[in-house]
Amino acid sequence: MNQTCDLTLELKRLIIDTLELEDITPSDIDPEAPLFGDGLGLDSIDALELGLALQKHYGIKLDAEAEETRHHFSNLNALHSLVEARRVN
Amino acid sequence: MTFVPLTRLPWRRAITHQHSLPRHWVDPFSLTQRIDAWRRWLAGQPAGHWLLYRRHPGEFCAALAALWESGRVAVLPADDRPETLARLAAELDGTLPETPDEQSANHPTTPAYPESLNPSATAVVLYTSGSTGDPIRLAKRFDQLDAELAAHAELWPLADGCIISQVSHQHIYGLLTGVLHPLGTGAPFCGDECRYPEVLAARLQEAGDAGLAPVVVSSPAQLSRLPEHLSWHDLPRPRRVFSSGAPLAAEHAQRTESLLHAPVIEIYGSTETGGIAQRRQTQGSTWQALPGVELSIMDGSLTLRSPFLEDPQSGWQQPDRVAPATAGFELLGRVDRLVKIAGKRVSLDHIELSLTALPEVSEARCIDLGRTDGRLGAVVTLHDERMPHRHDTRHELIQRLRTHLSHHLERVAIPRYWRFVDALPSNAQGKLDRSLVDRLFADLDDNKAPRWLGERRPDPATCLLTLEVPERLVFLEGHFEEYPLVPGVVMVQWAIELANDSFGETGEFQGIERLKFQRVLRPGSRFTLQLTRRDDGIAFAIDSHEGRHCAGQVRLLTRHGGGHG
Repeated sequence: MNQTCDLTLELKRLIIDTLELEDITPSDIDPEAPLFGDGLGLDSIDALELGLALQKHYGIKLDAEAEETRHHFSNLNALHSLVEARRVN
Repeated sequence: MTFVPLTRLPWRRAITHQHSLPRHWVDPFSLTQRIDAWRRWLAGQPAGHWLLYRRHPGEFCAALAALWESGRVAVLPADDRPETLARLAAELDGTLPETPDEQSANHPTTPAYPESLNPSATAVVLYTSGSTGDPIRLAKRFDQLDAELAAHAELWPLADGCIISQVSHQHIYGLLTGVLHPLGTGAPFCGDECRYPEVLAARLQEAGDAGLAPVVVSSPAQLSRLPEHLSWHDLPRPRRVFSSGAPLAAEHAQRTESLLHAPVIEIYGSTETGGIAQRRQTQGSTWQALPGVELSIMDGSLTLRSPFLEDPQSGWQQPDRVAPATAGFELLGRVDRLVKIAGKRVSLDHIELSLTALPEVSEARCIDLGRTDGRLGAVVTLHDERMPHRHDTRHELIQRLRTHLSHHLERVAIPRYWRFVDALPSNAQGKLDRSLVDRLFADLDDNKAPRWLGERRPDPATCLLTLEVPERLVFLEGHFEEYPLVPGVVMVQWAIELANDSFGETGEFQGIERLKFQRVLRPGSRFTLQLTRRDDGIAFAIDSHEGRHCAGQVRLLTRHGGGHG
């Protein structure tokens, strides 16, 4: 449980720092809300940046165009599952 | 008092005034002694281009006239930062010292002054101050300046009047309107500290007492901040108020007219073109060409022929979009404000117009910050009651603005960095220049600094800064995970650092007194830092909508004096 919390907070911080979301704090990110479009409001450039950050921090390689990637990026919980399952470090 | 062109040395006419103005006013006919002192000093110096920066309009005019009479060119830097002056001085033939006195004994006789100056000689070199890129250098001949001054004299005669200038004469608008027009007409003038509203009020009273009609030379920076608590209604009414340098918001034009009881005349132009057109916004938004300026509008862009241009015969393409209107034109925005984000062309004007369409937004500036992420910044002026004071209200406001823009723009073009200000910050020329933009967004790359959102100087000893606690401030880390706040020592540190920025070198830290922490300061909070200069250091107070957070006095040891106990 504690580890889940830690990783959730870590991912929120990764998103905020990578994408320079200066007006957002970890508590503003709802784990169920969409990251892209209407929720957090991320866009296509953010998706590329986030993909790079996941590769750098967790060694996870994603194909930015793949349907599967869109699923992993749908919300924070989905991203959490991806990192837990595929992290190499 | 009629207008005399600069080429006929108006400052050399031997007329004495009857008025009884205090000494901080400049009487154009009392400058000759100072001009002669400069002439004697310059007699042994190289000819050519000389650097001239003086805050005091009288000192400025005396040195300027001496350079002109001796056949030299005055180079006017836009600011007096040491780097600017050093860079320009290296390219020029000389820099005028603080005063002409030291060497004047070597040249006891004053060189005779010429009967007239050559109209086609270069008079001044000016520098533009754009929000992007390096400043551009522009030379002006005497005939260009005289043509424009003649237009001013025709439209706005200064008979029985005087000038109170709130803008820098190192820039074309302040130079022509604030010093050269009164110099050519023999009207008294003042400047420098007049940029403070309290000083402006005092000068208006002095002008009235001397039986002169004051004319105020101002800019949107000052007019948008005219305080209502001063009793303007009891003061002599200005004959008119000029505004230039940037567009004046319609509500600020209206408010200025009702506060000062005077017409507000805006002048539209640029350093390259000089004045192009004028309007009084309370009577209509249409701009009318200045006398002698010929305009033609094709495909929404403005071409002009003007005696104020370097080449009066050929057409000049002004980089603004316009629409023809009855007896003039409407100004729509700049044409060159397109940026590329993720390969897509984005119009900054379009984003600004979309933002100002919202009722809570009064002004918006969208800026390409030149960051590696390519993201845009936005500086937005909001009506008072809509200003966010806490993290959650700021967060909600940004979400709302972003959602609104997403209906008009591609997502990547939506500004990422938002700065909400009480009024657009501006430099001495009334412009939001690059150094102010850098200051507004400095916290992006400095996680130790508060976010700067503007400052006011109600008087020379007081500075009122509007600041915000960035959510990513490094000092918040580890300081209560669930309830982050700004440590008290950081608040004191900010006060000392910002006092250094505002007042210059303030001295070595000696101690803190009367320190009182009254309320915690949280991330996302908007607050004011009031700094007051004292004999022995500074006093500071941090306040927000919630009330007082912290106040105290810092004792500092100045280099020259000792500790004042």
